[in-house]
Amino acid sequence: MVGASDPLPGLLREFERRHGGVRVTSEALPWTADVQHQFYVINLEGRSAGFDVLMLDVIWVAEFARAGWLLDLSTRWLPADRREHAPATVEAAALDGRVWAVPWVMNVGLLYYRADLLARHGLAPPATYDALADQALRVLGAARDPALAGFVWQGRQYEGLVVNVLESFWAAGTDLLGTDGRVFPDPGRARAALASRRAMLESGASPPLVTAADEELSRREFGAGRAVFLRNWPYALPLFEAAGSPVRGKVGIAPLPGGGALGGAHLGIHAGTPHPDLAWRLVEFLSRPEAQRAIAAATGLHPTRPALLDPALREIFAGARPRPVTPWYQTLSATLQPELSAAIVGVKTPERALADAAVRLRYFLDPAR
Amino acid sequence: MRALRDALVVAALAVYAAPVAWQALTSLTPEAELLALGRAWPSRLTLEHYRAVLGESPLPRALVNSAGIAAATTLLATVLGALGGYALGRLRVPGRPALMLGIVMSTAFPAVATVAPLYLLVRALGLRDTWWAVILADTSFALPLMLWLVAGFMRELPRELEEAAFVDGAGRLGALRHVVLPAAAPGVAAGAVVTFLFAWNEFLFAYTFTATEASRTVPVALALFPGVFEVPWGDIAAAALLASAPPVLIVVFLQRHLVRGLLSGALKE
Amino acid sequence: MSGDRPLAVALLAPALVALGAVTAYPVARVLALSLERRVPVFGIADFVGLANYRFLAGDPAFWNAVRVTLAFTVVSVALEVVLGVLVALALRRQQRFRAASLALLLLPWCLPAVVTARTWEWLYHPTAGLVSRLASPLSGPANWLGDPSTALGALVVADVWRTMPFLALLAFARLGTIPASVYEAAAVDGAGRVATFRAITLPLLAPVLLVATLFRTLDALRAFDLMFVLTGGGPAGTTETLTILAYRNLFQTLQLGVGAAVAVVLFAVVVGVAWAYLRAIDAGEAAR
Repeated sequence: MVGASDPLPGLLREFERRHGGVRVTSEALPWTADVQHQFYVINLEGRSAGFDVLMLDVIWVAEFARAGWLLDLSTRWLPADRREHAPATVEAAALDGRVWAVPWVMNVGLLYYRADLLARHGLAPPATYDALADQALRVLGAARDPALAGFVWQGRQYEGLVVNVLESFWAAGTDLLGTDGRVFPDPGRARAALASRRAMLESGASPPLVTAADEELSRREFGAGRAVFLRNWPYALPLFEAAGSPVRGKVGIAPLPGGGALGGAHLGIHAGTPHPDLAWRLVEFLSRPEAQRAIAAATGLHPTRPALLDPALREIFAGARPRPVTPWYQTLSATLQPELSAAIVGVKTPERALADAAVRLRYFLDPAR
Repeated sequence: MRALRDALVVAALAVYAAPVAWQALTSLTPEAELLALGRAWPSRLTLEHYRAVLGESPLPRALVNSAGIAAATTLLATVLGALGGYALGRLRVPGRPALMLGIVMSTAFPAVATVAPLYLLVRALGLRDTWWAVILADTSFALPLMLWLVAGFMRELPRELEEAAFVDGAGRLGALRHVVLPAAAPGVAAGAVVTFLFAWNEFLFAYTFTATEASRTVPVALALFPGVFEVPWGDIAAAALLASAPPVLIVVFLQRHLVRGLLSGALKE
Repeated sequence: MSGDRPLAVALLAPALVALGAVTAYPVARVLALSLERRVPVFGIADFVGLANYRFLAGDPAFWNAVRVTLAFTVVSVALEVVLGVLVALALRRQQRFRAASLALLLLPWCLPAVVTARTWEWLYHPTAGLVSRLASPLSGPANWLGDPSTALGALVVADVWRTMPFLALLAFARLGTIPASVYEAAAVDGAGRVATFRAITLPLLAPVLLVATLFRTLDALRAFDLMFVLTGGGPAGTTETLTILAYRNLFQTLQLGVGAAVAVVLFAVVVGVAWAYLRAIDAGEAAR
């Protein structure tokens, strides 16, 4: 948690008050996800971690569970309580029929669009990526503004690229991993989805800067009024509506075709903790509705309980899909990133990129090795 | 004519340093105008970023940590480096070529790989989140360059220097203290400046060994600046300039000594 | 002077102990790790001998990283040296404003690497960055860091910008030790500027340049911060150096054995290069 309006210390003090004699210390980790990840791995591998409750990125839960670093919460976090949370967040916390972490904050990929520009052409928000590209080109053609771009998304070589491409996969009816754990269960559709992303750059529906763009770069372009469509996380909306924003009052939001990727964080308990019961009570305390509301108010990270969400966002959040819930997700993503980037920038054909990725992935995932 | 050419050189170097000026301008530009394309210059200058950085950020504390760590590292490296450099430069050390290779190589191992085992070592010794872990790591990594600079400088000093001291009845160590070290002061000082810069700017170990704001250094505070998602370019620019101020001031004011210190062979005509 | 030896050892020992303490354990650990297949999450920790190295030998990503590392190093260092010497020569000929010149020159060098990375990240911003704003009237909007054909070059420029001043400083200091009388004699003999440079200046600069180039080459081979912040190894792996590849394996995929092996290979390259340089330096010294 970051920032001057950090709600966490307040919550922790409140917990201490309710459980007299307990002191809770918190440690803020470096923001870069990779370094946080490494920090956890180094500390948890050594058995004596020095911490009891940890905040986990949604994509780490399965991995840490498989590693045996998390306490099995199946008997503490009951099915009735699980139903309060968005199904996607519960799915991300489950492995081998058990649950390992409690959802804390939630993020979903969504589509931002310039409602004023779409209205001018009588367009409704697109339901497929092809329609999205077409609409972008139509608006660009009519606007004749060289500074205006069509669809801006995250195409830089990092985790965000995998997220964006996954969203295209889902819209095409396929996924990265099949139900049997096979990589690229439907190579034809995967290839088509990846090719359509590349096509957006070739046709001009997306500007070249997409290949260097992360969340912030893309957000700023749209926020400065230089893009028609933007794929990003919900944090951007209040920024677009802030006083002085060039796009204030002109921004609409819609679900992404095929659903948006799930982001956010869960709370887990270290398997070797000497205080499992106390740790569980802290997790319960921090994830209860009041706490989630306080966090949302202060930081803009959304609660995982649909009941607590702004009604305007409920439909979009309901469409959240978790990235493949597998202990191998980090490996998958890191291996895919250069290949997907190669396809996006046109250095490799989509077939070649996916084939090369599949070869390396099979090497890493081969159970016999 | 001469003056014109000289002025052109300065102008060319000013252009070279333009990115720094650009950062300075960014730090004074209002947030709302930072990414607007229409204008070349901001409509007004503002101190909002500096206020944010000095008031609400961990930067002031980080400045203190950096100053302490860099000073201690410089002191330690200078002492070890002066003594060791003297040995390497003027005494017959067994296996000098291999030793020099070993010294240069010892810190050449890619830090991305050694940082994890080092972290485990630091944690095992209970030094995590203290200044000492960073000081020791920084000192060791500063030593090769320091040793090379001092040894090179010492090697070029004339033999007569010590011989005169011996004639006066001083031993090796006495000669070192009273004659050689003062003569080698520029070289040692240059090494100290370079070491200070290194320790001030060092990032990877400071990042890995410190856990809380209490012990974080300036580069780490800079790297951790972004909030949840946003990159506050203006604030970062302000923080970057504040962070660079001490090294810049030191180098600018000590540049003459720096140049003198790098002159191995200056005393030979 | 044989009684010097114990003194020499005593004076050198503290420095060597400090160096050893911080480097011996980690290096030994990484070497051992490179011989294991170690994936902590899955509890895999098997000794596999040279299997990781064999994997790397057949891995296109590894050879790409080797190419990128060498290209970056050679071009960066060459540019730094050439520019550094030119700047040093220009500074030497300056009579006025020299202090201002030196101050401006050293400005890029004393910035923390993180600041440099952030500064160039901002400079290369596709729409609002200074580089883009200046270049766009000529070539259209620039996507320096997102275009596979320009990304590495963009990094080289940023790296040279930051490190050239130190080389210029060393060369400048060295040039100051050449007495004016030498140049006067050459002028009397009718030697032109280029001939003077080749016959007098360059040989005197050579030893300093050689050592400086050694340190710079070692630094460039291990460069990390710039790539990490600006491109993360992309696009399409065109800026993925060996250190970034090691990082990817150690920190992201957690294939610790493979990551360690990459680091060991890089270290071997560094040692080889350093050894070649030191031999050249010693040969040069023997000739003097």
